Amino acid sequence: MTSQNTSMPASQNAAPQWSRFPFPETLIRYSVLLGVLVFLAWSVHFLNLDLQRLLGAFPRLGAILADRYFPPELSFVLDHRFLNSVLNTIQMSILGGAMGVLLAIPLAWFASYNVTLHRWLVYPFGRLSIMGCRAIHETIWTILFVTIIGFGMFAGVLALTMFCIGFAGKLFSDEIEAIDMKPVEALRSTGAGPLQVFVYGVLPQVKIAFVGISIYTWDVAFRAATVVGFFGGGGMGWYLQRATYELQSTRVAAILLTIIALVSISEVVSGWLRQRLAGERLA
Amino acid sequence: MAVLEVRDLRVRYNNTGPEILRGIDFSVEGSDFCAVIGPSGAGKSTLIRCINRLVEPSGGSITLFGEEVLALNARDLRRMRRRIGMIFQEFNLVNRMSVMDNVLSGRLGYTGSFRSLFRLFPRHDIEKALEILARVGLSDHVNKRADALSGGQRQRVGIARALMQQPDLLLLDEPTSALDPKISRDVMSLIRDLAREFDVPVLCNIHDVQLATEFCNRIIGLQDGIKKFDGPTETMKKSDMELIYAMEVL
Amino acid sequence: MAMTDRMASENSDRGILSSAGASTYFERRRSARIRSALIWSAAALLLFWCLHVTVIADTDWERIGGRFGVLGSIGRFLLLDLSLLPHLIIPAIETMMMATLGTLLGCVLALPVAWFGARNVTPSLYFFYPVGRFLMVLSRSVHEIIWAILFVGAVGLGALPGILAVAVRSVGFISKITAEAIENIDPKPVEAIRSVGGNQFQVMYFGILPQIMPVVLGTIIFEWDINIRRAAVMGLVGAGGLGLVFFRQMAMFNYGGVTMVLLAILMLIIIGEIVSHFARKAVT
Repeated sequence: MTSQNTSMPASQNAAPQWSRFPFPETLIRYSVLLGVLVFLAWSVHFLNLDLQRLLGAFPRLGAILADRYFPPELSFVLDHRFLNSVLNTIQMSILGGAMGVLLAIPLAWFASYNVTLHRWLVYPFGRLSIMGCRAIHETIWTILFVTIIGFGMFAGVLALTMFCIGFAGKLFSDEIEAIDMKPVEALRSTGAGPLQVFVYGVLPQVKIAFVGISIYTWDVAFRAATVVGFFGGGGMGWYLQRATYELQSTRVAAILLTIIALVSISEVVSGWLRQRLAGERLA
Repeated sequence: MAVLEVRDLRVRYNNTGPEILRGIDFSVEGSDFCAVIGPSGAGKSTLIRCINRLVEPSGGSITLFGEEVLALNARDLRRMRRRIGMIFQEFNLVNRMSVMDNVLSGRLGYTGSFRSLFRLFPRHDIEKALEILARVGLSDHVNKRADALSGGQRQRVGIARALMQQPDLLLLDEPTSALDPKISRDVMSLIRDLAREFDVPVLCNIHDVQLATEFCNRIIGLQDGIKKFDGPTETMKKSDMELIYAMEVL
Repeated sequence: MAMTDRMASENSDRGILSSAGASTYFERRRSARIRSALIWSAAALLLFWCLHVTVIADTDWERIGGRFGVLGSIGRFLLLDLSLLPHLIIPAIETMMMATLGTLLGCVLALPVAWFGARNVTPSLYFFYPVGRFLMVLSRSVHEIIWAILFVGAVGLGALPGILAVAVRSVGFISKITAEAIENIDPKPVEAIRSVGGNQFQVMYFGILPQIMPVVLGTIIFEWDINIRRAAVMGLVGAGGLGLVFFRQMAMFNYGGVTMVLLAILMLIIIGEIVSHFARKAVT
C-alpha cells in the first residue's frame, strides 16, 4: 500500500524494527480474506443475482405493501374462527415447548461432556440427537409429521417438540458444561450414582437458568407456531396459507399484523418473567 | 509567562447539583511539576479534566498557551487537545490493540480519518514510537496486546502514548493509584525524568502526599472544591496538611 | 423409598433441633410445599387442556392407526434414494451461498439499526432510538418463511428473495447484540482517544470498535450457523436451494429422496458447525 509496506532501510538495522505487516501472518490473513471475497463474488455470479433488483427490493416491498396490502382486513382477524386458531396456536406452543423442554433435559445431560453417562456412547448420541433436531428446520419437521400422521395440530405439536428439543437442548447442555464441578466431585466421592449426581449436583446449579431458558424456548416456539400451520400443522398459519394462495393480500396483511402484535406481547411477557427470575436469582 | 492560567473555575455536573469546584485560581509555569493533592471527592480529577474539557466547566476561564480554552470550537479544541498529553489512573488503553497501536494512537490528532481507517501512520511516527518505547523500557513488548502486560508496563504504554503527542503540557490523573508502591515510585521518577528531557510542564493530581512531596516542586491543596494551599513544596507545613485533609482527620 | 428416607431424616432432625425452631421450620416448609403443589397442579391442568384441544380432539386417530400405521409411514423414509445424490450437490452449494450472502447483507443492514438502537450513540433518543428498537423487534417477530413470501412477491422467484429473507431475519439479533455491546463499552479508552485530540470517527474506530469487535464477530458467526438451516427451507416458498429439492421430492412422494435431502442438510449444518468453531476461535 504505502511506504510502510516496504522494509526499512538497511542503515536502520541496529534500531528496533516494526512493521504493521509481519511476513507470514499478514500473508495468511489476507489470503483467507481474499478467499472469502472470491467465494462471495462467485456466489453472486453463481446465483445469478441482479444487484439492481437487490437494491430495488426494499422500495418495491414498501410499494407493494402500501399498494396491495393496505388497508389490512381487520374484520377477518376478529372473526371467532380465526381467534380460535390463535388460541390453538398458543396451546400448541405451550404443549410443544413443555414436551420439548422435558425431553431436552435428559438429552442435554447426555450431551454435556463433563457429567455425561458415557463419553464414547451416550455423549455422541446426545450431541447428535440435539444437533439433528436443530439442523432440521421446524417447517420441515412439520411437513414430515404431516405425511406421517396427517394434517392437524398433532403434527404441529410434534414439530414444535422437535424444534424445542434442539433449541433448549443446546442451551441446556452449554449451561451444564459451565457448572462448578466441585460439588459434583464431592458427590461422586461419596459414592453417588450418575443419576444421583445429576439430580443433586447438577440440577440445583442450573435450575434457575433452565427455567429462564424454558421461558425463552416457549417464546421462540410461539414464533415458530405461527407458521407451522402454513404447512398443515394447525393453528393460525393455516389461515395465512389460504389467504396467501388466494392472493387476498389485505387479509394476509391483517394476519401478519396480528402475528407481529402477538409475538411482541409474548416477547414482553417472557422478558418480564425472565427479569423477575433474574431478580430472584440475586436475592 | 504562565503556560496555564485558571481563573475562578466552577463546575457542577447538572444544573441543580452541588458545585464540585467552587472558584479555583492557579497558574502553571513552564518548568513546574505541580501536584494537586486533597482528600477523595475534593474535585481533583474534575479539575484535571477541565483543562482539556473532558469535563465542561460551568464558569470561569482557562488560558492555555495564551488561548482561552473554554471559547474554542470543536475543531480548535481537538487542535488544543493534541498539544496536551494525558496519563490516566487506569491507563485507559484500548485493551485489544497492540502496544504499538496504543502508542501510535497518540498521534491521532495529527492523522486524517482516512489514514487512521487503515492505521497507516507516517513512517517518522513509527520510528518515534519505537524510540519512545525503548526509552520507557518496553522494546520487547511492542507487538503484545495491551491486556497482556502488567500494571506498571501498561502505565508505561500510557506514558509513551502521551509523549507521542510531543505535548506542551502533561496532565496526570492519579497515575500511580492503580499500582503498588514500588512500581509507583518507578513510574513517578520515569515521568519526572521524561518531563525534564522533553522540557514539558506537568500538572499532576495525586492522593499520595509522600509521592507528591518527593517528586513535585509545587503543591496545590484542594478540599471540597476550594483551594486551601498553593506554594512550593518546601513551604508546605504540617498545619497546611491538616487544613487540606481536615475532613479526613475528623 | 425416597419418601421414607426423607421422613426418616426429618424425624432425626426433629430430635436435634430445639422444638420451637423445629415447628416454625416445618410450618414454613409445609406452606412452601402447598404453594409449589398448587403451582404444579395448575401447570399440569394447563398442559392437559392444551393436550386435549390440540392432540386428542383434533387428530384423526383412525387414519394414523388404520390404513398405514405410523411405523409403516416412517419405514417409507428409510429406503434411501441414492440416485438423487448428484442432484443434491448444486442445491447444497446454493443453500450455503444463500446463507452466507444473507448473513453478510444482514450485517450491512444491522449497522444503522444498531447505531440507532444503542442508547449512548443514537442520533436522537426520541426519534431514532425507538425506530431502531422497533426494527429489531419487527425483524425477529416475523418468521423467515413469512419474510420469504413477502420478498417472493416483491422481487419474484429465485435465490434473491431467499437471501433477502435470511438477511432481514438476521438483522434483529445481530443489531440487538451489537447495540447492547455498544451500550456496555468501557468509557476509559474512549476518553483517552478524545484527550489526544481524536475526531468523532477516530473515537469510534479506535475507542469503541476494538471493544465490541469480538462480540459482534461471534454473533455474526453464530447467526451464519443458524442461517444455513433457514436457507435450507427457503425453497419451500419458491426461493431455490435444498428446500426446493425437498419440496419436489415430497410432491413426487419419493420419501427416500426426502431423507437424502435431510441428510444433505445435516451435512451442511455439520460443515457450518466446524467452520464456525474455528472461526470463533480465530476472533477471540
